[in-house]
Amino acid sequence: MDKLVIADKEFNSRLLVGTGKFASCEIMAEALEKSGTEIVTVALRRVDIENKNDDMLRTIDVKKYLLLPNTSGARDADEAVRLSKLARAATGINWVKLEVTPDPYYLLPDPVETLEAAKILIKEGFVVLPYINADPVLAKKLEDVGTSTVMPLASPIGSNQGLKTREALEIIIEQANVPVVVDAGLGLPSHAADAMEMGADAVLVNTAIATAGEPGRMAAAFKLAVEAGRTAYIAGAAVAGKRASASSPLTGFLRNNKEK
Amino acid sequence: MQECFFVFCGVKMEVLKINGVEKHFPAGLMPSTVSALLEQLDIKAATVAAEVDGQIVERNKFTEAKLLSGQRIELVRFVGGG
Repeated sequence: MDKLVIADKEFNSRLLVGTGKFASCEIMAEALEKSGTEIVTVALRRVDIENKNDDMLRTIDVKKYLLLPNTSGARDADEAVRLSKLARAATGINWVKLEVTPDPYYLLPDPVETLEAAKILIKEGFVVLPYINADPVLAKKLEDVGTSTVMPLASPIGSNQGLKTREALEIIIEQANVPVVVDAGLGLPSHAADAMEMGADAVLVNTAIATAGEPGRMAAAFKLAVEAGRTAYIAGAAVAGKRASASSPLTGFLRNNKEK
Repeated sequence: MQECFFVFCGVKMEVLKINGVEKHFPAGLMPSTVSALLEQLDIKAATVAAEVDGQIVERNKFTEAKLLSGQRIELVRFVGGG
């Protein structure tokens, strides 16, 4: 597959994987391995002082995966900036998945606060990957202030509903000069393949893998789907039509024989 | 910052508010730096970020960053997330 380039970094995999909701660190590690991913998202939380074993990073090989901290939990730009700085202090990496989700029911991102936070973070030297609603105007504004991707949602986080924002995603993809990572709501490998066939540069999947019957096997399925979708996009889709167009020759000899 | 303390059963006590919870130490036994605090809590410094009174302390400053009684400490690390 052709390489995905975000900021100055090249990646062979176009599947980003989130690390939430896995039943155990071991199951997560297996799923990451089988997904072929090179970018994994993580969240920041207070250390549980009573439980020293809550250190999840022990099972993520940071030499193999780029850790992409998110700002989940932030409800405005200030909180997102604070979380980003803490994440940078914890990883030493200046990449951040910017998400500002004040609404707890649909977890839809706040466009005004996201744009504001993006401006501040870019000034502070961060590589910003913003999670947004599928809003083509916002996507262009973020690109203009210097974000390294845009990450529009397919449907609400963790909903597994698939590509509910298809038409808007198509416009974002058509207009973008930065990679478009379709994030949130992809519930099946076919949804991921669909997004990639549309021309998305990458997808991010978490819940659909983490809560599958067998997360490792589902991660492998998403890997194949993303590769298939990307390859199909590059190959160029054949034109869809309403009427049949014969694939086999219809100029038969059967009837001609009978007529003789 | 003004150092603060209070007296408990005749012993002068010092206090740090760690992740929202007050932790009291007999005077002189309070960890004096971020690394000393992490050591006492048995938390590996390698994966932790720290804020003292809202200011981030970079990891390479953990051994130097002095703690004073009354300060608010936030210790965060990564957990699973999408």
